[in-house]
Amino acid sequence: MELWEAINGRRSVRAFNDRLVERDILERLLEAAIWAPSGGNAQTWRFVVVTEPERIRSIKTVSPGLLGNPAAVIAVCQELAEARAKGGALGETFLAPVDAAMATENLLLAAYAEGLGTCVIASFHRGAVGRLLDLPKGVEPMLLISVGWPAERPPAPPRRKDDIVSFEVYNA
Amino acid sequence: MHEIGLEEKIFELVGYMVTSGRNLLDETPLYGPFRLVDAASRLILLLEDEEITSSRLSAIRERIDAGKYSVMTSPGEFRTFLGSLVDALVDHLNSQ
Repeated sequence: MELWEAINGRRSVRAFNDRLVERDILERLLEAAIWAPSGGNAQTWRFVVVTEPERIRSIKTVSPGLLGNPAAVIAVCQELAEARAKGGALGETFLAPVDAAMATENLLLAAYAEGLGTCVIASFHRGAVGRLLDLPKGVEPMLLISVGWPAERPPAPPRRKDDIVSFEVYNA
Repeated sequence: MHEIGLEEKIFELVGYMVTSGRNLLDETPLYGPFRLVDAASRLILLLEDEEITSSRLSAIRERIDAGKYSVMTSPGEFRTFLGSLVDALVDHLNSQ
């Protein structure tokens, strides 16, 4: 798939069919995620892939933003102590979430290229998800990604183009 | 996979509502009405799963599900959708 096709075609999908997502496909998505850039090449991200239906239901119960019934949920986490050790305060408070987001975008595009639907979720209770995933102290879930075979093709929301990009100086 | 019982379905809905209550302290205010109407939709769906059905409840759920995601794209459209939802409720009340 052409890169621009993935960039333009990807949507946030919130309805999935019942088909399972095979393990090798999920592993390819994670491979795409870890090829993302990271500040200072810190690579302090951690990923937890959940495919057990009952565990997904538990995560859904404490994640209001997780809609539909995806075959998998991927928790994009950060090892914050390692992020601080490698990047100082900037590493912990800024680079960690930014790196998680860059890895997430890679994963979303790779998923789209596989024909999968995804949605990024920030509306979840971090403490509750951490407990359900048995995350060790210091490993914080940054984002959840629902992954499944899409049962919908949402239209593209309009994109602002007129007043968001400046060349050379702001609003020139 | 085990059969999902009524108590478990209700527990999950309660979890959704309680977690929403906590998270909404830190989220965009527009998500408040979104979570409320989405919870209503989930409640009606839960009842339908238990074969407790009514045409007006199903109509309201379908209307919610058709319009709720406008919160992501257009606050104005979402506001209009919420107003139309109330109008639909009154229509059902008046037709009793």
